[in-house]
Amino acid sequence: MAADSQDALRRAGDASVLILTSLADGPKHGYALIQDIKGFAGLQLGPGTLYGALDRLERLGLVEALPTDERRHPYQITVAGAAALRAHLDSLERVSAVGRLRLRLGGI
Amino acid sequence: MPGPGLPPARVVGLALRCYPRRWRRRHGTEAAELAALLIADGVPARSVACSYLCAAAREWLTPQPGHRLAAAAAALLIVAGSLGVPLGLLSASAPASAASAARGHTASASAQPACTPHQHPHSHLRPHSHARPHARDAHGQHC
Repeated sequence: MAADSQDALRRAGDASVLILTSLADGPKHGYALIQDIKGFAGLQLGPGTLYGALDRLERLGLVEALPTDERRHPYQITVAGAAALRAHLDSLERVSAVGRLRLRLGGI
Repeated sequence: MPGPGLPPARVVGLALRCYPRRWRRRHGTEAAELAALLIADGVPARSVACSYLCAAAREWLTPQPGHRLAAAAAALLIVAGSLGVPLGLLSASAPASAASAARGHTASASAQPACTPHQHPHSHLRPHSHARPHARDAHGQHC
């Protein structure tokens, strides 16, 4: 289950990881997502990229749209989405640890 | 791409009109509002419009889950057309004409293709008359 959803997340792309990370602490709508991602990743996500990634994540069952709030759709991460994000971050941590170790061993 | 003289809302509005209707029904209002907020924050309208335009192109090119069968059928028709396969071969009459050709002279009138009523009464004496569907019969009519 975790491996499948992690694979789905990898296919969904980098924007999807940023969106799931942003939604990990609670539901947000489009503008709040862009502002939050800009704050923690230093990336200005384009609005077209944002909606494309949200649609993909929703089709994969990793996020869900909440009832409309003043014409805006807040999105929240699902249980499957949280599992996929956790598995993806674990994988990144392993890669990061190996990379740092090899850089140290290589004396670079 | 719209010119620089157009107001930002119009530029973004034109880009949003490039999306499929179902996308606009779902996200259209919110996307326009988000664009206005981003432009007010200092993001260039042209950049917002470009982002929407690229995403609209992806939206059109990405097959939707419910439309995969239709997309596959369309792709099959395009491939068949590009290979020069006559559409008649894909129609329901193709098996009937194949069966008629296999049975040769003993075939009954009811099993013949739709064009056979225009044939000359003695045309069955000519060999391969079913194998050449575009040949003219004794009266010079197209079959």
